[in-house]
Amino acid sequence: MTLRSVFARFGLIIIIVMFFSFFSYVSPVFLTFDNQVNIIEASAIVLILALGMTLVVAMGGIDLSIGIAFDFGAAFAVVALKDFGAAWYVACLIGVMGGALVGLLNAILIVGLKISPFMATLGTFFVGSSVERVFTNGGGPISYRRMPQEYRDLAVGDVFGIPTEVIIAAAVCLVYFVVLERSIFGKRIHAIGLQKDAANVAGIPVRRYMFVAFILASATCAIGGLIGSANIRMFTPLAGFSYLLDAIAAVFIGAAIHPKGRPNVIGTLVGVLFLGMIGNGLNLMGLDFNLKAALSGIILVSALALAVAQQRFR
Amino acid sequence: MTDTLLKMCDITKSFPGVLALDAVDLEVERGEIHGLVGENGAGKSTIIKVLAGVYKADGGSVDIDGETLADVTPRSVHDAGVRFIHQELHLVQHFTVTESVFMGQEEQTLLGLSARAMRAKAEAFFETALGTQLSGKTLIRDLGIAERKLVQIARALIDAKAKLVVFDEPTAPLTSGETDKLFAAIRKLKEQGIAMIYVSHYLAEITDICDRVTVLRNGQNAGRFDDVFDNSAPAMISAMVGREIDELFPTTEHSAAAPRLEIQSLCADAFNDVSLTVHRHEIVGIAGLVGSGREDLIDTIYGLKAPSSGTLKIDGIAQRFRAPSEAVAAGIALVPRDRRHDGLVLDMSVSDNVNLAALDSVSRWTLENRRASHAVATEMSETLDIRPRNIAATARLLSGGNQQKVVLGRWLNKGADIFILDEPTVGVDVGAKVEIYQHIENLAKDGVSVLVSSSDPGELIGLCDRILVMLRGKIVAEVSTTDLGVDTLVALTTGGAVQEVAV
Repeated sequence: MTLRSVFARFGLIIIIVMFFSFFSYVSPVFLTFDNQVNIIEASAIVLILALGMTLVVAMGGIDLSIGIAFDFGAAFAVVALKDFGAAWYVACLIGVMGGALVGLLNAILIVGLKISPFMATLGTFFVGSSVERVFTNGGGPISYRRMPQEYRDLAVGDVFGIPTEVIIAAAVCLVYFVVLERSIFGKRIHAIGLQKDAANVAGIPVRRYMFVAFILASATCAIGGLIGSANIRMFTPLAGFSYLLDAIAAVFIGAAIHPKGRPNVIGTLVGVLFLGMIGNGLNLMGLDFNLKAALSGIILVSALALAVAQQRFR
Repeated sequence: MTDTLLKMCDITKSFPGVLALDAVDLEVERGEIHGLVGENGAGKSTIIKVLAGVYKADGGSVDIDGETLADVTPRSVHDAGVRFIHQELHLVQHFTVTESVFMGQEEQTLLGLSARAMRAKAEAFFETALGTQLSGKTLIRDLGIAERKLVQIARALIDAKAKLVVFDEPTAPLTSGETDKLFAAIRKLKEQGIAMIYVSHYLAEITDICDRVTVLRNGQNAGRFDDVFDNSAPAMISAMVGREIDELFPTTEHSAAAPRLEIQSLCADAFNDVSLTVHRHEIVGIAGLVGSGREDLIDTIYGLKAPSSGTLKIDGIAQRFRAPSEAVAAGIALVPRDRRHDGLVLDMSVSDNVNLAALDSVSRWTLENRRASHAVATEMSETLDIRPRNIAATARLLSGGNQQKVVLGRWLNKGADIFILDEPTVGVDVGAKVEIYQHIENLAKDGVSVLVSSSDPGELIGLCDRILVMLRGKIVAEVSTTDLGVDTLVALTTGGAVQEVAV
């Protein structure tokens, strides 16, 4: 094994370790237990959205409307609590269904009308953004200070000292791992993503699977919206958009560290934590937080270049 | 009056391990349509590529208009006035006719492209040179395939410097009505004194349009016909395959039991009024050239394409498949012609590919039971002798024959009543070929109905009980394989013997 091939295989892991060591060295706070918990907690919502994205990308698509699904989840739940006095768990269910509506629209556009996922979800993103603005008379938040404590606890509560949002994200992650990496549904999703025509000839009902997957992904993103709205006790229109780029980056970083270059749940988890670490580290160093996007971009591009190099050196 | 325009002498070309052309001569006179025929691999496309300067001949000379070309390159051949109309269209869907004709040879003034002049010139060319009306403003995607072919021809000839035009299988994707349109244009070109080389598998067309014909066989000249009549086809076929034509034996035997697969007057874009039946224990072949509608027929039976009319029955029950998944549920399996694109998920392992269709049977509570799926894959790779005997190997890395066995193994594992095999041994080495034939025979012995579509006449005759011959979207003959000769089948698929055969 030459140095180049080692780097090609483990390059991204090396970069991650290097950043980790660097931040530990320059900031005394970085390595503390509390700060590590901070990173994980701040990554919870991104992870949930990135998992939904992983499902779609594994199937060979992309979903630019995950932010809308996030917002719809929050909006439906907050309105159910505030205007209809729904119980917290009913509100959660309604929120998830609100997100699923976004996925349904995507599924109809992509599977029914055969529009490419990029264009279809971009359209959904535009329409959804506009709907949110109209619904809130121009984009003002819908706040509900007196929301039930149980709902509030989705974001600020803890179980045995572990923040609830981390537990929820971990649970979603576990479910996604089983579904995408261990179940026959996941195997078929991967087959569709790798070679749609071959999957079709093998008798996999490709259209049905794609339909279900887009709805599942959006419903998952809505869970992120529930936590987000519980945290600030309001629905803020267009809040979900800020997660889109991180989610995409995390999925592709995750694919780049997979031995066969496939989008996968563990990889996405690593990608999300990595991006969280970068944001946190830059913050502690007193550097402009806005540099994070630039770094994410550079890291993503290097990760993809490395993935190409991996193919060549294998 | 003999006035030789092109003279290719003693052209020899070898590839590693193969002598593709062995001292082949080809002479074309000014203003004639010269047919070039031969079986697959006879050297037709090789000599065309030598003429085009794509391949460099090992020996021989090329004279055009009495002058020997010192160096045959795409450039020098083009300058000498030779143009090629390739089989593929290579047209941009969203361009207009004018843009397509002038692509790469646009006319411009200081003020930019002279769009109006180009359009007028293109339309005038269609009118006078090809004898057809075509608006320069029409988009390519709105044209029929015959018209696109005319655009392709116009693009090659618009500079009015062409002396010799080479047509490579120009009618393969066309219906018979469209073919007439193209022929009208070709005859019009001939009137203008342009010579043509016409390469085709369709002997009926060759006898229809060509003045003289050169026949190649195994990279050698196998004959030249200086007078081509409508009934020259049998003589050409015997020159092509090197034997005389056998008698034809129409089939009479049919099993008394009800057919398993029954298709009645099925129609779609690429084929018309196709009816066929396949019984239990029976292997039925479909023969036909590329473009005969064979491929679309298979796709339609399997639910990949929708028929426009007609019925498909399985065990007497009418079915309508909207997707392959429904065909699979009804007990059909397809081994597709393009195994790398449609057959395998190349980046998945052998095990995953073998189990892809029957994942339900190796799972518990919808989770994959890897021990069970690996056991199935191991058993299949033993049964089919898939090498390397490593079920974790990525399918992409296997040889063609072993990849085909993986596809076959998937359906053996799934268990289907009707097996459809499309070009089952293309790109498969001889050893694996024999094994695959053996497995197909075994399937039929076990009561499975098998439908084999192939462009290899020898394969069909060796494997099948009877063969349906498709030509231009229609079934033109049904023959029993008992005493059926390869040349007879070739005659049927090329349309060279249609007149004599009672359909």
